[in-house]
Amino acid sequence: MNRILLIEDDTETAEVIVAELADRGFEVQWTADGVDGLGRARTSSHDAMIVDRMLPGMDGLTVIEALRKDQVRTPVLVLSALGAVDDRVRGLRMGGDDYLTKPFALVELVARIEALLRRPSDSRQTVLQVGPLQLDLIERTARRGERELDLLPREFRLLEYMMRRSDQLLTRAMLLEEVWNYKFVPATTNLIDVHMGRLRHKVDGPGEVPLIHNVRGSGFVLRSRR
Amino acid sequence: MHQIQLIRSSTFLWALAVAAAFALFVVALFAFIYWKLDAYLVARSDRMITTQIRFIADLPPSRRLNAIADHLAQDSRGVQYAGLFDAGGNRLAGNIDHLPRQLEPDGAVQGVQLDLLQKPTSHVPVVRAVGRRLDGGDVLVMGRNVDETREIASVVGEALALGLLPAFSLCLLAGAWLSFRAQRRVEEVNQRVQRIVAGELRERLPESGADDPFARLARIVNGMLDEMEMMINALAGLGNDIAHDLRTPLTRVRLALERGRTHAATLEQLQDVTDKAIAGIDQSLAIVTALLRLTEIENNRRMAGFGDVALDEILREVCDLYEPIAEDKRIRLGAVTERHVQVWGDRDLLFEAVANLVDNAIKFTPSGGRVELRLDAEDDTALVRVSDTGPGISEQEREAVLRRFYRSDKMRNTPGVGLGLSLVAAIVKLHGFRLVIGPAPGGRIEILASIGRASRPVTRRSRTLLHADAGGVG
Repeated sequence: MNRILLIEDDTETAEVIVAELADRGFEVQWTADGVDGLGRARTSSHDAMIVDRMLPGMDGLTVIEALRKDQVRTPVLVLSALGAVDDRVRGLRMGGDDYLTKPFALVELVARIEALLRRPSDSRQTVLQVGPLQLDLIERTARRGERELDLLPREFRLLEYMMRRSDQLLTRAMLLEEVWNYKFVPATTNLIDVHMGRLRHKVDGPGEVPLIHNVRGSGFVLRSRR
Repeated sequence: MHQIQLIRSSTFLWALAVAAAFALFVVALFAFIYWKLDAYLVARSDRMITTQIRFIADLPPSRRLNAIADHLAQDSRGVQYAGLFDAGGNRLAGNIDHLPRQLEPDGAVQGVQLDLLQKPTSHVPVVRAVGRRLDGGDVLVMGRNVDETREIASVVGEALALGLLPAFSLCLLAGAWLSFRAQRRVEEVNQRVQRIVAGELRERLPESGADDPFARLARIVNGMLDEMEMMINALAGLGNDIAHDLRTPLTRVRLALERGRTHAATLEQLQDVTDKAIAGIDQSLAIVTALLRLTEIENNRRMAGFGDVALDEILREVCDLYEPIAEDKRIRLGAVTERHVQVWGDRDLLFEAVANLVDNAIKFTPSGGRVELRLDAEDDTALVRVSDTGPGISEQEREAVLRRFYRSDKMRNTPGVGLGLSLVAAIVKLHGFRLVIGPAPGGRIEILASIGRASRPVTRRSRTLLHADAGGVG
């Protein structure tokens, strides 16, 4: 069971997060205070941390900085209620691993925590395999079973990202950030859906078992098994 | 009350000070003239009596008495004094009663008091006198009344005083008048400002035709008020727009929840209602977030992410991102980037700016049209152009589209937050670049960027480049 440390001073937000994570099978420790949170992070080991940017006692970024100095490498998701423009840069620079701006959707939070916990498969691998899908990173070729997939470079990138994180929920924001390096919500909201539609059209041929699934209202999953 | 104010007014005080300084100057001048005159007259008297005493002393003793009598007889004004005393101090001749004690014989001319035979009625005159010991042991004293110096001085003084008084009064009057005039104008300005403070934004300060500092100041302030009125109106409009844009999704949420609460019979139906509510709230939040971002960028605080940014890469990436959706709308999307161009800026924000422009272009270009991204560079200026075959932005709308929440009437029903172009404008401004909206028909928006690290504003020269260029198409 994964242990998560949540440092968040707003009780209601914290309660909802704790309940949601507990439902998903996480064991959550919660504290509202930065200093206390730093102490707990130092003394007991956690698999991931969620740290609010603005905390009483000690600023969230300071907590992360102190932990990184102590060689505590626990992955951290930073939460911020600010307009969060420069903050994102600073948050990541201080040693945060991911950054989420309030208000956020719970699925987004859970998806990002799961992404932090399950670091992508070894990046030195040159051939990725998920179910019948096979991606050759050197030859830049993709195949599903015997069928060669003719992918555009961006589709190849997208598929590579999804195969490294198979069976994980990937939200649109995550895909934009990681695949396109684009940090903000575009005015055209179905931008990613269109890209995914193209890729799915090529990956899931007629009569084949669909591998790319749309999770309603949240994102996409590449399933390795039925 | 009014009078006290008048006296306290700085203009009046200044006038008073000037008048006092003037009076002081006149008094000093008078003193100087008096001192000079006095010295001159005394010196003249001294010379005269020195000559006279030498003349009489040089005469043989027998003729001295007559000479003294003649000398005194010739003096009709009674300002000459003379006396001859023997060694014992007894008077031999002249109109001086006895030898003055302070007088040093054979000394220089000096001011002494003389006891005269005929005592003067008014006062003891101040006299310049000189004494001389003669060979026979006699002492000769010659003197001269210098009271006339005082008389002349008093005449000059009177004349000066007569001139000084009116001048002083004039100064005070002028001061009072200027002060009164200034106060009247200040009072008028004050009343108008009070009205402006009370909310009457169209009120302006009085601008007389004259080119005095007051009128100039009024013109400057009025210019500032014009600017502020415009901004306040825009802000007021913004408040309305925000309220309106937020109310629309929130109303939908409310209705959905209200109906769902009473009518949802199954879990699926309830979830459906909840999804709708979440979508509506997300839309409201998107507006708030966009506004916060806009404010933050406009407040110029975001410089942490600045670095070297390759514009050609950004254009290609944006193109890559929007290609499928353009294809779905049967719009040809292409990027022409012939050169590698680096600018100093925030990659994410520049990406967002270009993406917003492309997003808009695709949104407003009819099916079958074309959207083109183009990067040109010349010397120290880069030009990013997003052009399309859509309706474009008319001259009248050019300013308005940069305003928050502005949505062209034609596109009232197009989804979108309506902050896209203001966001682009804010990002462009943060970088010190320029945003240019080209003439309709055909959408055409350009970002004029300076190449290299220095975030200097784009130069005038490049502006001409741009207009010459724009003229060719428009």
